Amino acid sequence: MKSDTSLTRPGAALGASLAAIGCAVLQGLPNQAMAGELENWDFDAAVLQYTESNDRVEATEAVLGATRNFDSETSLNFKLTLDTLTGASPNGAMPSDQPQTFTRPSGRGSYTVEAGDLPLDDTFRDTRYTGNIQWSAPLGRDWSYSGGVHYSTEHDYESRGGNASLSRYFNNKNTTVTLATSLSLDVLTPEGGVPVGLSAMAEPGSGSFSVDFDASRDGKEADKQVTDVIFGVTQIINRRSLMQFNYSLSYNNGYLTDPYKIVSVYDTAGGTLQGYRYEQRPDSRLKQALFWQGKYQFDGGDILDGSYRFLFDDWGMTSHTVDARYRWRFGHQYLEPQVRWYSQSAIDAYQPYVTSAQLADDPQALTADYRLGDFDAWTLGVRYGYRFDEKTELYTRLAAYRQMPRDFGSDNSSDTTPADAGDLPEMTAVMLTIGGRF
Amino acid sequence: MQRSLRLDWQGDAWLGRFDAMASPCEVLLALPQTQRELARRLLKVAADEVWRIEQRYSRYRTDNLFAALHAQPGQSQRVDAETARLLNFAEQAWRLSDGRFDLTSGLLRQVWKFDGSDRLPTAEAVAALLPRIGWQQLDWRSDDAGAKGEITGGWLTIPAGMELDFGGIGKEYAADRALGLCLQAIPARWRSSGILVNLGGDLACSGPRADQQPWRVGVEAPEQEGQSALMLKLAKGGLATSGDSRRFLLCDGRRYSHLLDPITGWPVENAPRSVTVAAPSCIQSGLVASLAMLAGADARAFLEQTGLPYWIVDA
Repeated sequence: MKSDTSLTRPGAALGASLAAIGCAVLQGLPNQAMAGELENWDFDAAVLQYTESNDRVEATEAVLGATRNFDSETSLNFKLTLDTLTGASPNGAMPSDQPQTFTRPSGRGSYTVEAGDLPLDDTFRDTRYTGNIQWSAPLGRDWSYSGGVHYSTEHDYESRGGNASLSRYFNNKNTTVTLATSLSLDVLTPEGGVPVGLSAMAEPGSGSFSVDFDASRDGKEADKQVTDVIFGVTQIINRRSLMQFNYSLSYNNGYLTDPYKIVSVYDTAGGTLQGYRYEQRPDSRLKQALFWQGKYQFDGGDILDGSYRFLFDDWGMTSHTVDARYRWRFGHQYLEPQVRWYSQSAIDAYQPYVTSAQLADDPQALTADYRLGDFDAWTLGVRYGYRFDEKTELYTRLAAYRQMPRDFGSDNSSDTTPADAGDLPEMTAVMLTIGGRF
Repeated sequence: MQRSLRLDWQGDAWLGRFDAMASPCEVLLALPQTQRELARRLLKVAADEVWRIEQRYSRYRTDNLFAALHAQPGQSQRVDAETARLLNFAEQAWRLSDGRFDLTSGLLRQVWKFDGSDRLPTAEAVAALLPRIGWQQLDWRSDDAGAKGEITGGWLTIPAGMELDFGGIGKEYAADRALGLCLQAIPARWRSSGILVNLGGDLACSGPRADQQPWRVGVEAPEQEGQSALMLKLAKGGLATSGDSRRFLLCDGRRYSHLLDPITGWPVENAPRSVTVAAPSCIQSGLVASLAMLAGADARAFLEQTGLPYWIVDA
């Protein structure tokens, strides 16, 4: 009979062979020892196609993200975004029963809009490159922080900035309180220089065009700063639901005007067109917003997500946004319909057009940008995703957006210019996104 | 069998439970409470894999791979990659143990019933089985390993009357596989969150629970079933116990271990009551624990030489 000592001898040697045979039997499978060396990168990529109706703006956006995960709470994220915009955008002027001719923003040449058509500036064309780097990590047991920088550039705009946030966990991480801030320093270098606010647009073909054009310009560049502070509380209610509440403050100062937007001037409300003025917005804006969001997960894994945002600012705008989406899961797939309703009131400086009398009162700010007027908008969307495994997913989202102006200044008081919603720009857009995570 | 999954929040980790391989099984996931959906999916990944292995290699079924292999005795049969890897593992374990770790020794259970009684088999009954036991009687030819060590399959001939029994490695293998598939499935963001798979005391663990605290594992005391004698801390790797807490015979004041020496057909003498070993993987832990038990009185010396952490409960 073999003695038991024959078994003890391989004891030491076993160490080496054990590793080999243990690995062989689990061939191809990540194991405990290898867990730390596994691929720790997550990637995501998406392409968004945005198309407005009536040959207006068309945009394509491509996003590529890469995240290096150090652990579940520590990560470094890189994001690159490329946007290209083409098409035409409303320049702010009212439609007219006569053809209208506008000086191009560059001062070189002009474009003409047919009678009855909404004036669109068809030189709208740009490519923007954006890069973000974001670092997030815990600070001890109960705190975490995050910091990041961004840079974006396009031919007439440059933005650089940074952000920082600090979170504190309470109540076994069921409550998270976050204070976040960001600062962005932006420089505008508009085509043809910075327009003088409320100056007259030089008349194409006039003998004094170049003198008039130069008189409407004030240097080559302007800048603005945007500072945001957000205070948020996230509360896990139970294992199925959570709620979030944010209060945010955004302070913008500097050149906040859109250098390409103009305002039609009439002799009287509903009278004869006199010309065009460049718009002018106040040089500071303080926005405040309250945001609430709730999420509920059902037994089968379906998720109901609802949110409401109320925004108000010192320009006189208030807006309400209600958003609801339901993620319906079936096997590896999910379908997520979404509906969103948005309603905003015009800022004080908004006028669809201006009268000579109003101009004589020397207004400090004036804009006819439809995005600052009274309107309602809805979004209907649906997202479909297919999950190959926990980290690999392909999705597509189709959404329609419709923006509907409301009648303006129906009270007919002398300091406002009445306009029928039918004369104001409305807009329909379709967005298609295709993306993936891997 | 009732294939149900239960998932509960444990204050700082998700606990998933299911039944497989005649044992209560657990998957502990150090994920936040908000990651319930991910926890549920990982639990399913783990349970499906354990059930798959059980279904495939169970000797109690007539409709599985195991039954098919035994349906054609004496004939050379092609086996798939997974079975080939298990057979290679078993062959190496058989060599390392000088023939005492033997997947063909399950036949001895026909005469050895470890029910706590004093009914020993007769020497003749045991001796009659020995000719049908012994790994060397199999004709097992694994394909050569590929460039990355992968095996595509092999050819196996099981002589008539012999029987393979994957019971000695199945649970440990399933624990490692279940954990590995979870690690494959979990998004990178959560991959360093600890996962612990516990298949009736055979454990595989990928990392500590929340706050970098090790998982605390109770190892059943041989005498008092259900009461933890050992409270071990496990942060990573495998843990397996070989012991006879429930399976033994008591005759004339002598305790007969359920661990049978396939060479003699009789229980290993002077084996510890139980051996628990921690190794990088569960299947390695299980192998070392079994080899230590098979070393009988030399178990402790054997374990010392492996350099692995171990816990012995002496007889």
